Amino acid sequence: MGLRNFFDRIEPHFEKGGKYEKYFPIYEMVESFLYTPKTVTTVAPHARSYVDMKRIMTYVVIATIPCILMGLYNTGYQTNLAIAEFGASGWRAAIIDMLGIGFNAANPLANMAHGLLYFLPIYIVTLVAGGIFEVIFATVRKHEVNEGFLVSSMLYALIVPATTPLWQVALGIIFGVVIGKEVFGGTGKNFLNPALTGRAFLYFAYPAQLSGDSVWVPVDGFTGATALAVSASQGFQALAANGMSWWDSFYGFIPGSFGETSTLACLIGLVFLLATKIANYRMVVGCLAGMIGFSLLLNWIGSDSNPMFAMPWYWHLVLGGYAFGLVFMVTEPVSGAHTNVGRYIYGALIGFMVVMIRVINPAFPEGMMLAILFGNVFAPLIDYFVVQANIKRRAKRHG
Amino acid sequence: MAHKRRDMLIDPLVDNNPITLQVLGICSALAVTSSLQVAFVMAIAVTLVTAFSSMFISMIRNQIPGSIRIIVQMVIIASLVILVDQMLKAFAFEISKTLSVFVGLIITNCIVMGRAEAFAMKNPPIDSFIDGIGNGLGYGLILMLVGVIRELFGSGSLFGITILETVNNGGWYVPNGLLLLPPSAFFIIGLIIWAFRTWKSEQVEAREYKIQSVEAH
Amino acid sequence: MAEENNTPTPPQGFIRRFLALPTDSVPKTIFVAVSVCLVASIVVSAAAVALRPMQAVNALKDKQINILQVAGIYDPSQDVVEAFGAFEAQVLELESGAFTDAFDPASFDDRAAADDPATSVALSDDPAGIGRQARFVTVYLLRDEAGAIDKVILPLHGYGLWSTLYGFIALEENGNDIFGLQFYEHAETPGLGAEVDNPRWKALWKGKKLADDSGALQISVSKTAPAAGAEYHIDALAGATLTTGGVHNLVNFWMGESGYKPFLENLKAGNL
Repeated sequence: MGLRNFFDRIEPHFEKGGKYEKYFPIYEMVESFLYTPKTVTTVAPHARSYVDMKRIMTYVVIATIPCILMGLYNTGYQTNLAIAEFGASGWRAAIIDMLGIGFNAANPLANMAHGLLYFLPIYIVTLVAGGIFEVIFATVRKHEVNEGFLVSSMLYALIVPATTPLWQVALGIIFGVVIGKEVFGGTGKNFLNPALTGRAFLYFAYPAQLSGDSVWVPVDGFTGATALAVSASQGFQALAANGMSWWDSFYGFIPGSFGETSTLACLIGLVFLLATKIANYRMVVGCLAGMIGFSLLLNWIGSDSNPMFAMPWYWHLVLGGYAFGLVFMVTEPVSGAHTNVGRYIYGALIGFMVVMIRVINPAFPEGMMLAILFGNVFAPLIDYFVVQANIKRRAKRHG
Repeated sequence: MAHKRRDMLIDPLVDNNPITLQVLGICSALAVTSSLQVAFVMAIAVTLVTAFSSMFISMIRNQIPGSIRIIVQMVIIASLVILVDQMLKAFAFEISKTLSVFVGLIITNCIVMGRAEAFAMKNPPIDSFIDGIGNGLGYGLILMLVGVIRELFGSGSLFGITILETVNNGGWYVPNGLLLLPPSAFFIIGLIIWAFRTWKSEQVEAREYKIQSVEAH
Repeated sequence: MAEENNTPTPPQGFIRRFLALPTDSVPKTIFVAVSVCLVASIVVSAAAVALRPMQAVNALKDKQINILQVAGIYDPSQDVVEAFGAFEAQVLELESGAFTDAFDPASFDDRAAADDPATSVALSDDPAGIGRQARFVTVYLLRDEAGAIDKVILPLHGYGLWSTLYGFIALEENGNDIFGLQFYEHAETPGLGAEVDNPRWKALWKGKKLADDSGALQISVSKTAPAAGAEYHIDALAGATLTTGGVHNLVNFWMGESGYKPFLENLKAGNL
């Protein structure tokens, strides 16, 4: 317990009146990261339970593990497949060569290693760049650096394409942390999901690097549209011709951002989050109902010119960021609705919007990110009306 | 008196800025700031319209019946805006094409109406004119600030002169596409307001309600 | 207030009597409303009338500059009207591919013609997304010193992602080699679709061919080069799939059977 003693010894310096009073947030961050905090906070995201923030955040990170593993494997798998055709280049290939792992797409280890070489730089940059701004704000505002950032940074790293230039990764997470969270007062007061805010910033600021055909598989010369882009232009029936079956999409063997290709991995995470009651099942039910209901309606309406109308709901489920967003973003407690009825409505709104954007808007084949941000913006309004309706009902009942 | 007039001119730049303190005129600030040249012309147009409409309204302020005062102000402002629009079309066609509908929308710019109603209806014409100029300049200052950020980082140029050579033209700078879209002006204006209020903390508004305090750890 | 100290003698004259009325009385309200409107309308109409000739010149000049640019002879130091004198405007009947004298090219309005049922047709097959197509369009010819046609400038338009793109295409005298393409009006996404204005992208068009030797239209704007070969292909705009698709469709539509095909055949045959 030498370390504990060390913390106890230096703690007085960081407390009020101590020598390093200003740097308390940094001390607190390191200390509470290593040990259970001595205190329990009382505001959202855990105002309604006795689980402390740290445990929630740790559980969410644990829940992303299947997605991380599948993401690493699939990124490496897609890359190795493309390398077989286009040849390898760059420093990552040099490292792989040096380690003698090879580029065999049939070798899971080679795939994992290659995926890791893409994921790690992005994740480290995310942690450092976002972390610096977290610490700056914590120091100036005199609050603690929050474990929430661990979740935001992990989710953020999982939803960017492997080819994103690292400086853009840094810019995106900084925007997400500052504009998505800190300007509103920090964790618990943010009405937007910081990871998605950062991702949306990148999407609109640097569309050439974040969308299109050549960004999903990090090999020069390779172009391949995402499953949703293929469906938007040729209909989902064309996916098979492009070598993407429903089961491929479900397991996650299609091109896409790191974490979001595998619906299976997301569902494992969902089971974990629901079992630990971190995720509220009402949002999940609402979001599924909204998506299934609206896509069935569009199937029934049909369209001659827009093949996306015919896309069945089970394809919507496995393509793009739907599953990942459903599990890790929709269920996020701070930026979602806070009333139980409101959670159903909130989920349904997102489910409806994602199909709406995917099918009807010509500019954005992928809709989950925008749909969730849209839901975030409406969540307080939904809560307001739910509460008002409740007040009215009770007022009537009690005369 | 001279001192007071100088204050009228300078106050709206920072201390009582129509955009950052009163949060007026945001709509056009979003639309016209993606290039500096357009922002500059818009700032001049708004300054002129505000100054002259305030002056004319102030001249007849004792004759305007209270029941139709808003409509009278609107008629005067609208006429001036049409004048500006016609002038631009005749003498600066290229710019009027990029400003398009936003010149017409100066009519609905809250700053113009706001100054007419709040200042010109109660003060003599010359003071009103100066107040209009001051507020127009305050608006223009923010417009130019936003314009510099948006044009420099969004297109890599200032006043159309290339500063950062963009990738599309064979350079190194990857322009930030978000800055070319109107919503980016929201972020920038928000950040400017944040900076102003950190600098001059007296501008921070009192909370309308108390946020439930958090137990100290 | 000053009025309270006024002598009780009633004010003289029509306007003064009104001015002296209490501000909120009905006659005064009407008087102020009418006079403000009167003054404002006089000022506005005077300005509009006085400036209209200059505005008309500007609008015309703007269009002419675009035509000059697409023909590659625009020089900012030169007088636009004079430079434009090199062009010969003609109204073309699309179906026959021949010029018509039914309209005066100086006053013919292409956009109005597209809305007028008498001069336009509703399209059933409409890849360019324009709804109605005028049967007559204004085209511009550039002749060399000997009087033979050197270039033809043809207007075209079609739907991109958010907006209709209006532009001109300049063709060489053989009716097949592209000299340039330029859009003068659109509202595509800045930085992506709006890069149709980028000089580097526009430069890609120069020297491309519309149709192969058999006369089949081969021109394409896409990400991947088609089998027909690079001389019929223009690279897509990065990140702007739908705008690119729109440009591809509108060029193919206007250069096809329902567009300028008959005219281009006449041009090739030297029947003009």
